[in-house]
Amino acid sequence: MSHGYHGKILHVDLTNGKFRVEEPGEAFYRKYMGGSALAMHYILKEMPRDAEPLGPDNILVLALSVLTGAAISGQSRMTAAAKSPLTGAIGDSQGGGFFPAELKFAGFDAIVIKGRSEKPVYLWINDGHYELRDASHLWGLITGEAEATIKEELGDDKVEVLQIGPAGEKGVRFAGILSMSNRANGRTGMGAVMGAKNLKAVAVRGKIRPSVADKVGLRKLAKWGATNLKDSDIAGLAKYGTNETTGANQTSGTLPSYNYNSGVFDDWEPIDGTTMYDTVLRGAAEGKQDRLGRDTCYACTVRCKRVVEITEGPYQVDPHYGGPEYETTSTFGNYCNIGDLPAICKANEICNKYGMDTITCGATISWAFEAFNEGKLTIDDTDGLDLTWGNAESMVKLTEKIAKREGFGDLLAEGSERAARKIGRGTEAFLITCKGQEAPAHMPRVKRSLAIIYATNPFGADHQSHEHDPAIEDDFEYYTERMAVLGFTEAQEPRVLSDEKIRFTVASQHLYSAMDSLNLCQFVYGPAWQLYGPEDIVALVRAVTGWEDVSIEELQRIGERRVNMMRAFNAREGLDRKDDVLPQKLFKPLKGGASDGWKLDRTEVDSALDKYYEFCGWDVKTGNPTRAKLEELDLDWVVDQLGI
Amino acid sequence: MEIHLQLYSILREKLPSDAKGSTVMQLDEGATLADLINELDIKLKVVISVNGDHEPDKLRQLRDGDHVKIFSSVSGG
Repeated sequence: MSHGYHGKILHVDLTNGKFRVEEPGEAFYRKYMGGSALAMHYILKEMPRDAEPLGPDNILVLALSVLTGAAISGQSRMTAAAKSPLTGAIGDSQGGGFFPAELKFAGFDAIVIKGRSEKPVYLWINDGHYELRDASHLWGLITGEAEATIKEELGDDKVEVLQIGPAGEKGVRFAGILSMSNRANGRTGMGAVMGAKNLKAVAVRGKIRPSVADKVGLRKLAKWGATNLKDSDIAGLAKYGTNETTGANQTSGTLPSYNYNSGVFDDWEPIDGTTMYDTVLRGAAEGKQDRLGRDTCYACTVRCKRVVEITEGPYQVDPHYGGPEYETTSTFGNYCNIGDLPAICKANEICNKYGMDTITCGATISWAFEAFNEGKLTIDDTDGLDLTWGNAESMVKLTEKIAKREGFGDLLAEGSERAARKIGRGTEAFLITCKGQEAPAHMPRVKRSLAIIYATNPFGADHQSHEHDPAIEDDFEYYTERMAVLGFTEAQEPRVLSDEKIRFTVASQHLYSAMDSLNLCQFVYGPAWQLYGPEDIVALVRAVTGWEDVSIEELQRIGERRVNMMRAFNAREGLDRKDDVLPQKLFKPLKGGASDGWKLDRTEVDSALDKYYEFCGWDVKTGNPTRAKLEELDLDWVVDQLGI
Repeated sequence: MEIHLQLYSILREKLPSDAKGSTVMQLDEGATLADLINELDIKLKVVISVNGDHEPDKLRQLRDGDHVKIFSSVSGG
């Protein structure tokens, strides 16, 4: 008997409208756990080589894990994976809320979506039953409107709706997939893939809960977390959001401004999480923001989601669309030297209404700002918008133009790298992309291991693929026990890419990769500052699945398996070490503040990459997995695909 | 000596709520940042600035009139 999962994968071919329910056995779930690793299994096995990302041969996988739906914080998350229209490499993103748990209760562990429907449709899954329904009347609606319409026509306002907005319909290359109109599988353009398939939404409802092997053990773990949250390192994040970190990053010189040319932004305080809590969270005026201005995911006691309401002034914001996190206040704020919090909240609202990744959207806009301020773009290029640093009004207008693919927004909807290639005029020098995906607001010139991960990560620059440097540097003393579980017992020097730091980069990448396969929230679970540590993750998997011999080594191996599968997919599509490139500006010094003068050194980075590939067991020349490594990870069938 | 203190995020709750994290603290001459952190009973990792500059060394001695900001901060995410 299986615990935690159904043993059912729903396959749908949108070209012919046919369904198939696959019932993999226990070994399949033990090998992948779910999420990103499970998605890679289908993508590698069933997607033909060189598939067009926006064509019918692309395969979109929506995958839960063996833990999804269990009654504990931080598990209601889902992976969306496909070939990315932004990067041309593998695409992958995770999102939370209530949809993931509800999909599990609707009776399936994953949905594998192929082909392309002739007309817009949505998928309705209800207690094990499934059908495609007409979505022509929903096409063109913003997320909040589509969500309400679907719930009304299904006659149940507890239905959870996962959908694309008009940006996904129009093929904005970084369109996301959203649930609740404010939780996003944001990055790598999975929304554009869904839009190209004419799939508007997936609606789910159900009461089929998988059993839990050790209910007492699970309850004990859950209770521990709820009790210890207030004394944990994430108590601040829970109440004040991820941009509680804005002031701290400003202080240590890792708050990107001037499109990543500086690590400090003097106008940070108006857009910091503490200010946000006091001013724009719903209920702030009456002092009730703690109750009204915070939201959560299924079974999660952390309650870290922002709910913003602004009813006056030029930037009014509907609380249905949530509120910005640190990445969003950064890319629409400090990246563009904008210190206007309501304007940033408005940009966030637009991204959630139309369904776009806030990181790529804001960072593409900041690329345009730099090009304008350097005289490479003029008012004639920008539809009359003045992109002088700090112009919040222009930033908001541009966000809307991108969402609607209008005028200059149509070019920016391609992402900054394609836009720079089209414009030329030397604007490629301003890019902050890796594999075509824009860098998030964690800076490699300050936290050096990010240089390795941004360059090599199969789906482009990504800040949620490993544990950042402070955990093995100045903060190490706080986390010695948890870090020892992963085999790390010595703090390392800041800004030095020592062998031990690179070894930590690989080990933490594998753990984060396992967590993306288990679909665990990275604020709740992790190797350092998170609420639960590595041993708790093992205990959780054992308690839910009943696999009593699961170990941290096995989970690390699953994480390594997933990274290798992604790397193998990219190799099959023609990528290798030559694509593991960092933006040129990272080799130039940062200006101002605590990180003044800091820059990456090419020789050091190249040497660190050599070491990284070596620790991964990959060919140092090509950066690709070897036959031996793939066989070691029980991926013999992938070896055949690569012909190595 | 007097230190002008501004606490952010959850650290504000070390002070009465109407202070909004802001206070003037009396410390002994020669007190360090570590002494200040102990005095405030802060157990979690923090990021500190003294007079506008990042100060990672908790053994730094404070002086009368110093402006200290203390942030709670998690990495990543």
